[in-house]
Amino acid sequence: MEEVKSTLRWTAMLCTAVGLVIFALSAEGYKAPEQKAEKDRADIILIDTSPVFGRGDKPPVAFPHDRHTEIMAEQKKDCFLCHLKESKPQAVSAGPAPQPESTERMSLKFKRLKDTNLKEVRKIYHDNCIGCHMSMAEKGQEFGPIICGECHKEGAEYRSARKPSGMDNSLHFRHTKAAQNKCETCHHAYDDKAKKLFYAKGQEGTCRYCHQMKTEENRISMPLASHMSCVECHRLGKEKKLEAGPVTCSGCHDSKEQMKIKKIEPLPRMERQQPDTVFVKTLGKDEKAETPRMNPVPFDHKSHEGYNDTCRVCHHASLSACNSCHALGKPLKDGNFVKLDRAMHQAGSQTSCIGCHQLKQQAKECAGCHVFMPKGLMEQSDSCLKCHMKPLPDSAAFPKTAEGEKELAKKLLQSRQPVKGTYPQGDIPENVIMKDYADQYEPAEFPHRKVVSSLVEKMNGAKKTSQLAAYFHNDLGTVCQGCHHYSPESQKPPKCANCHGRPFDEGNLMKPGIIGAYHQQCMGCHAAMEIKKPKECVECHKEKKK
Amino acid sequence: MFKLSDVLNRSLLTPFNIIAGIILFIGLIITALRFTGGLAAVTNLSDYNPWGLWIGFDLLCGVALAAGGYVTSAAVYIFGMKKYHSAVRPAILTGFLGYALVVLALNYDVGRPWRLPYPFVVQAGTTSVLFEVGACVLLYLVVLFIEFTPAASEWLGLKRARNLVVRLTMLLTILGVILSTLHQSSLGALFLIAPSKLHPLWYSQYIPVFFFISSIIAGLSMVIFEGSLTHRYFAAKMDETHLREKEDVVFGFGKAASFVLAAYFAVKVFGIAMDDNWRYLSTSYGAWFLVELIGFVALPCLLYAAGVREKNIRLIKWTAAWAVLGIVVNRFNVCLVAFNWHLPSSERYFPSWMEIGLSVFIVTVGVVAFKFIVTYMPILYEHPGYKTPHP
Amino acid sequence: MSLSRRGFLAWMGAAGITALGSQAGATPRHFKGYPQSLCVLHDITLCIGCRSCETGCNKVNELPPPAVPFSDLSVLDKKRRTTAKTYTVVNKYLDSGQEKKPIFFKTQCNHCLEPACASACFVRAFTKTKEGSVTYDASVCVGCRYCMIACPFEIPTYEYDEPLTPRIMKCTFCHPRVTKGLLPGCVEACPTEALSFGKREDMLKLARERINKYPGRYVDHIYGEHEMGGTNWLYLSGVPFRNLGMREDLGTTPAPELTSGALATVPMVAALWPVLLTGIYALSKRKEKLLSGDKQNALAQALAEANAKSQAALTAAMEKAKREKEEAVQKAVKTALEQSAKKTQEQ
Repeated sequence: MEEVKSTLRWTAMLCTAVGLVIFALSAEGYKAPEQKAEKDRADIILIDTSPVFGRGDKPPVAFPHDRHTEIMAEQKKDCFLCHLKESKPQAVSAGPAPQPESTERMSLKFKRLKDTNLKEVRKIYHDNCIGCHMSMAEKGQEFGPIICGECHKEGAEYRSARKPSGMDNSLHFRHTKAAQNKCETCHHAYDDKAKKLFYAKGQEGTCRYCHQMKTEENRISMPLASHMSCVECHRLGKEKKLEAGPVTCSGCHDSKEQMKIKKIEPLPRMERQQPDTVFVKTLGKDEKAETPRMNPVPFDHKSHEGYNDTCRVCHHASLSACNSCHALGKPLKDGNFVKLDRAMHQAGSQTSCIGCHQLKQQAKECAGCHVFMPKGLMEQSDSCLKCHMKPLPDSAAFPKTAEGEKELAKKLLQSRQPVKGTYPQGDIPENVIMKDYADQYEPAEFPHRKVVSSLVEKMNGAKKTSQLAAYFHNDLGTVCQGCHHYSPESQKPPKCANCHGRPFDEGNLMKPGIIGAYHQQCMGCHAAMEIKKPKECVECHKEKKK
Repeated sequence: MFKLSDVLNRSLLTPFNIIAGIILFIGLIITALRFTGGLAAVTNLSDYNPWGLWIGFDLLCGVALAAGGYVTSAAVYIFGMKKYHSAVRPAILTGFLGYALVVLALNYDVGRPWRLPYPFVVQAGTTSVLFEVGACVLLYLVVLFIEFTPAASEWLGLKRARNLVVRLTMLLTILGVILSTLHQSSLGALFLIAPSKLHPLWYSQYIPVFFFISSIIAGLSMVIFEGSLTHRYFAAKMDETHLREKEDVVFGFGKAASFVLAAYFAVKVFGIAMDDNWRYLSTSYGAWFLVELIGFVALPCLLYAAGVREKNIRLIKWTAAWAVLGIVVNRFNVCLVAFNWHLPSSERYFPSWMEIGLSVFIVTVGVVAFKFIVTYMPILYEHPGYKTPHP
Repeated sequence: MSLSRRGFLAWMGAAGITALGSQAGATPRHFKGYPQSLCVLHDITLCIGCRSCETGCNKVNELPPPAVPFSDLSVLDKKRRTTAKTYTVVNKYLDSGQEKKPIFFKTQCNHCLEPACASACFVRAFTKTKEGSVTYDASVCVGCRYCMIACPFEIPTYEYDEPLTPRIMKCTFCHPRVTKGLLPGCVEACPTEALSFGKREDMLKLARERINKYPGRYVDHIYGEHEMGGTNWLYLSGVPFRNLGMREDLGTTPAPELTSGALATVPMVAALWPVLLTGIYALSKRKEKLLSGDKQNALAQALAEANAKSQAALTAAMEKAKREKEEAVQKAVKTALEQSAKKTQEQ
């Protein structure tokens, strides 16, 4: 009996142990509810020593910078509570005129000027961060984490909502005004031989032409450069109690704050000696051909400046002509091996001509018709000729000077005949009665003329796309083709019912029946143009009373 | 006035009779409701949950727990373990009543019970696992009935019939094992068609194997469990052979159950490994699976072994009850708990009081029938006219 | 006839090899659909949630009038499923973008190429017709509801409140209409032609053409092309299908193939088990015989030993008796001689 007792006892202990293991396993599977408050932040800096010193034994720390600057401001302290001063390299001036002789600037590192070794850097962080938190705790104030795991969290406590920041032409104009048109305040170039920065007048471009996203050997990264220049200047400005830009992370990187940035309208043109009209050549810069195979494209540079927020939308790598990097024949390394054809015509790309035009078609005013049209290059040649204009009948040989080119381009551009609108009102049917749902609904009355004129009004009123529309809609009947599709331009285009009949035609799978055609076309256009009314079925066709 | 109690020389109003009578009465009411109001009036079944307690318990558990019939007769007649001979008739009786009640329960659950023969006489859906289940259950019920008839024949004095059937024992036993293998595993195979609805820890290509092996465990444990109950309440009916052999049965079957449980445990673990489902073990369903696997498979395996080793009859009997519960837990898990695990809790199923009531009713019918047969027919004793020589 | 051990093992080996061979040769062939079978392509980007399809279905199938009229669009705010009174439902899904544009889509039986319900039904109440529709025959249905367990799309419903004549209810693809060349009720009713109807090959072509023409508008996947072996109801969507509650984890194995393996073992068991069990029986009988033979031998031996022992004892006893008798005789003779000698001495 003694043995029996011990067996049972042993079994009981085993059961308890197993029960605890099962409980523990299932408890581990349970996830704590996510902290809801303040999870999306624009100011998260990841304190991660692994890129410099290799992988540590604790996860990197997500540091909310703005929260600390808030507390710092409450305590009437400034940035130098955490950041040290470092000597400024020559020539680059940061800050408005009042402090040209300043040889120091704020270091972006925390309480150090250099990353020495892991042990020292770790000590700097631990001593200062935890030290400050402890002192605040002693004063009875709200304090930050003290225990290892509270900073070095395994899972993500925050979610970075940082939006990239940058300058558009409007913001640039505000800066040039503040700097009193002294471009050298911010713009510099690098002399490779002298290994020095200097100001190159007439060569100013966006910082991003040199400063990439990662620090290279001799060139700091764009984030570093922008914080050193922009934020530092703003900080100095605020010191001097001048009107200056943001110094907090969220001030530039939070999407809501970004929307608060004042936009200048109307925006004066940037002064960078850029041409008004120019030819987009159809040969690479150093390529030779007897005659260019495609007609060069006359390009209204001045108008296009107004269609985009920045220059770098098109001038994505430099402010020179496209063909200086993109060759027609053998692709060049400078152009990232992108040939001239793709650079000009790639659908879906913002930097190519065709791509940008197609993106503009997604605007509300255009989408109603354009949402139905397939993307990509047209096969017909007459659409090519809209850009690659045929030479004027009375023109001589292609000019040899730059000035001559500009003149010819201007002439060609002026010879264009944009079409703003469509046929005269009287020629457009006023109402169209659609009788096809006769058994269930009353005929639908479509205010055809009103809709057409409203469409044309919206088209012509759109600031950035009206010229585009006017030029490419080269016939009075082009606009009609938005609905009267798959037919040539005509003053009397076919009726819907001429082509759309019974549904599910085996020979024409993509063509809907008449009912489907009406609903897909009408409702599709309304959805694309974000037209709220009509919404209910009976707003278009009343129910038939039985 | 003629009174049955006079004939029987005792009162009919025993506690058992009263309770059983109430349950049977409630069962009749539920029957009436079912056939006048449809399943909606009686069950909590829905379009998401077409199979509920009646399938989960009355069908799946009923068939599994009636497996003692083929296990015992296989042990005695095929494997030649004559010392368990006294356990055969009770096991066959339990089996026969079990399967008969399964068919009874099916008549409630199925929409048009009078059409139950249709798959065999009108149109056979041979692609269906359910067809195979139905055919095998039907045939096996016939086999069990025939195997049961000797006891009834002896009671009724039908000597020729009895002797004829006894001569067929070997054939019937083999047929019984074949049919049981097929339908026990196919009851599990029913769920093979719904991998998207059964939790990965319970769904495996090996479900048929799991159900078959666990039916052996169910049979062995049920013989011990039900044997211990009959010994408690019907000891007066047991003859000397039965009383002598019953300990052997408990120890022998307990030992066998321990081995089979160990094999079942291994097979279940392999099932998880085959589909690399380890990560599910750390979820709440995983915890419940571990409770089933460790608490109701590994634990009885160890307890059976300990009981046999220490000759502790009491431990083995309680372990048998626990193992029976474990089989019920497993069948419920497959059919009700792990099934539809992906649905939100608002769409999950829990049986209604009337469903539970009807299941209790069916079990009570079985118990009452068992009591009657065991009292009047030579199940727990050998009929003096047919005593076989014992070594 | 008794089976020798060698014979038994030979049979088992042969059976085993046959079983293996049949397994290797059985490559599952998937049914690609009856040629020219009809199909519906549901373009979810065109659905406006008007519920005209539900109205049309209700009318054409003469279903009972709904509790809430079809014109009431507020029912779309809750997720609905097919019921015994509705073969098809429209559901709403709010896009997770900033605009929260609602997306509507229709759910009904997908009329699989290899239907799970047809495979599961043990009275063959379901038929995959050559028109593509999966039809239900209520005249043989027993009401076991295994089809509801089997359907991976959770479509078939049951008339639980019918006590004696409950039926499974599901979309019929308007089979009677379609065989007459008419359109299914829902397709005919849809105003935006979100439901296109035609041959399955054509609907697949149409779906691919739409994806090619408007790549930004669609997720590049035709739901139902391969799911569960393929269905006669195809879907195109602008958002991932799983967002709409359409399961993307069903795999491409047709349902019948999931159980065909288990069913294939039935004849194997039926063929092998008799041999196996008879063999075990024969072995156990032989063991018994040997055991009883051994017993008899031991008994005989014991008896012989006992016999021999008793014989020896008897012989020994007899010898002893003989000796004693002789001794007694000798003693008697001696005594007699002594007595006679004494008597002579006295005279």
